[in-house]
Amino acid sequence: MPQTTQTTKAAGLSLRARSPLEILASNAMLFLPSILCLVAFAIYPLFYSARLSLTRLESAAGTPVWVGFQNYRDLMSDPQFWNAAMNSLLFVSATVSLQVLIGVGLALFFNLNLRFSWLVRSILILPMLITPLVVGVMWRALLNPEWGLINWLIEGVGLTAPNWLGSVRMGIVTLIMVEVWQWTPFVFVVVFARLQALPTDFYEAAEIDGASRYKIFRYLTLPLLMPAIAFAAVFRAVDSFRSFDLVYGLTYGGPARATTTLSFFAFQHGFQFQNYGYAAATSYVMLLILVVGTTLMFRYVNLRPEHLR
Amino acid sequence: MKSLIERIAAYTALIFLGVMGIAPFLYMFLLSTKRRIDIVVQVPPQLTFNWETFLRNYDEVLFRLGMASFIFNSAVVVGAATLIALILGVPAAYGFSRLRFRGNSGLANWILSLRFMPPIAVAVPLFLMMREIGLQNTYMGLILPYVSFSLPLVIWILIGFFDEIPRELDDAAMIDGCSRYSVIRHIMLPMVRPGLVTAALFSAIFIWNEFLVALYVIDAHSRQTISLGAATLVSAQRPIDWNIAAGVGVVTVVPILIFSMFIQRYIVRGLTAGAIK
Repeated sequence: MPQTTQTTKAAGLSLRARSPLEILASNAMLFLPSILCLVAFAIYPLFYSARLSLTRLESAAGTPVWVGFQNYRDLMSDPQFWNAAMNSLLFVSATVSLQVLIGVGLALFFNLNLRFSWLVRSILILPMLITPLVVGVMWRALLNPEWGLINWLIEGVGLTAPNWLGSVRMGIVTLIMVEVWQWTPFVFVVVFARLQALPTDFYEAAEIDGASRYKIFRYLTLPLLMPAIAFAAVFRAVDSFRSFDLVYGLTYGGPARATTTLSFFAFQHGFQFQNYGYAAATSYVMLLILVVGTTLMFRYVNLRPEHLR
Repeated sequence: MKSLIERIAAYTALIFLGVMGIAPFLYMFLLSTKRRIDIVVQVPPQLTFNWETFLRNYDEVLFRLGMASFIFNSAVVVGAATLIALILGVPAAYGFSRLRFRGNSGLANWILSLRFMPPIAVAVPLFLMMREIGLQNTYMGLILPYVSFSLPLVIWILIGFFDEIPRELDDAAMIDGCSRYSVIRHIMLPMVRPGLVTAALFSAIFIWNEFLVALYVIDAHSRQTISLGAATLVSAQRPIDWNIAAGVGVVTVVPILIFSMFIQRYIVRGLTAGAIK
């Protein structure tokens, strides 16, 4: 018998019945470590940030001076804040809609299952794995006005290349283009996975009924893809709103603040100008926009498995 | 796909897409093998390769500018933070997948919504916190925030994988006297291995690429991580030598690109976590 006890012990088995309290405690222990970590290094900093946004603090070593809502009032009357907000609005709406359009198109195209399309699919995954910072540097080289490859190509066919990164009007367009280059594959991968998982019998039925290709797409494929499209769009909207690395690598907010988005604006005040209270207030305005935005979006999109809704 | 013309058009489009995806990388690599003067003079850059220039450029990037030691720092931080995030995240994801309790979905929502938090909102407080507890310029000062940043992602990915394992399996083991922990260790972990790989991969890529928090917490050159090092070396603020900037870019992305070749199927799975349901 001692032999058996040892083997059961080794497998982590115990034959003693557990009390409800013990079960509750062991179940709570599943979550506790994660929750503690998140509270300490995500939730507490968020509250810290809220407090900071009500103070003036202009060097890390200084003591915060309580100023109430002054930072928020200053923000509302700061034309550069509104400029950044407009840039963010343009950036997010343009990139998300372009990415959805092109991404869905790509998914349909790859659904033809051409030979070697797996290879191109794996290539298209690469851009979104690498840091936007390097994407920015890479495109700054490609778009260089003196020796860049793209201008050489454009001028090679006899056209004049736009001033990609040097003009106020083109700056934000270029930023949008590069973001679309990097992240359209995300929409494509998500939509394509859904497309490949669609049951084929619907299609057989539709074809037997004599539905045209357009009608099959419009009334069958598109509605079935909608959840995946919405999922991808929400993710892209949130991520392009909150990230600042591409701006940092590609344009550093210029020329003349034409590509300064809200997150880059907050970054500049928090890091470059060491205006911590002001940066915190900006990030709280961003959080507010995110909370309202995602709450609205989640009414239409379900991200979680059914049992957690 | 009937006519020949349609086929030709389709394959042309396919090739075009492949070139669009890969050309920027190849161009950056090509620039990193040139002399500074060649970049300005040869337009487009010639497809020639000179070992001597190549070695000189990469010697500068890796050793004189310190990218080699930044890679080491990043490897330590990424490895430790990813491991801790998995150790914390596995039980939580398992719990969300298996336990029914009041507040279950509320708690899951709360954790998952942190996935959407802008890093800029916590970077300054994290910096001040790390300074107070003396973790500025230490690996730990980065590992702790990075664990909390990647936890929501890890939990999110793993819930999906746990959901695919039939509950009958745990029930059977629990009836036989297994505790929750031994169910996780001896039964779930081996079965959920693809999920662990996916979660670890996404957490690792995220941390490898992060540099905002590092920008605050680390100001000692010797402790810089790879993305932070790259960010300070090639900032759009100041003029740069393009062959060296391209080399910095190559060194930053090559480890991830090599890594990603072995794990293609997991990449798609991780990106679409939650999208298929």
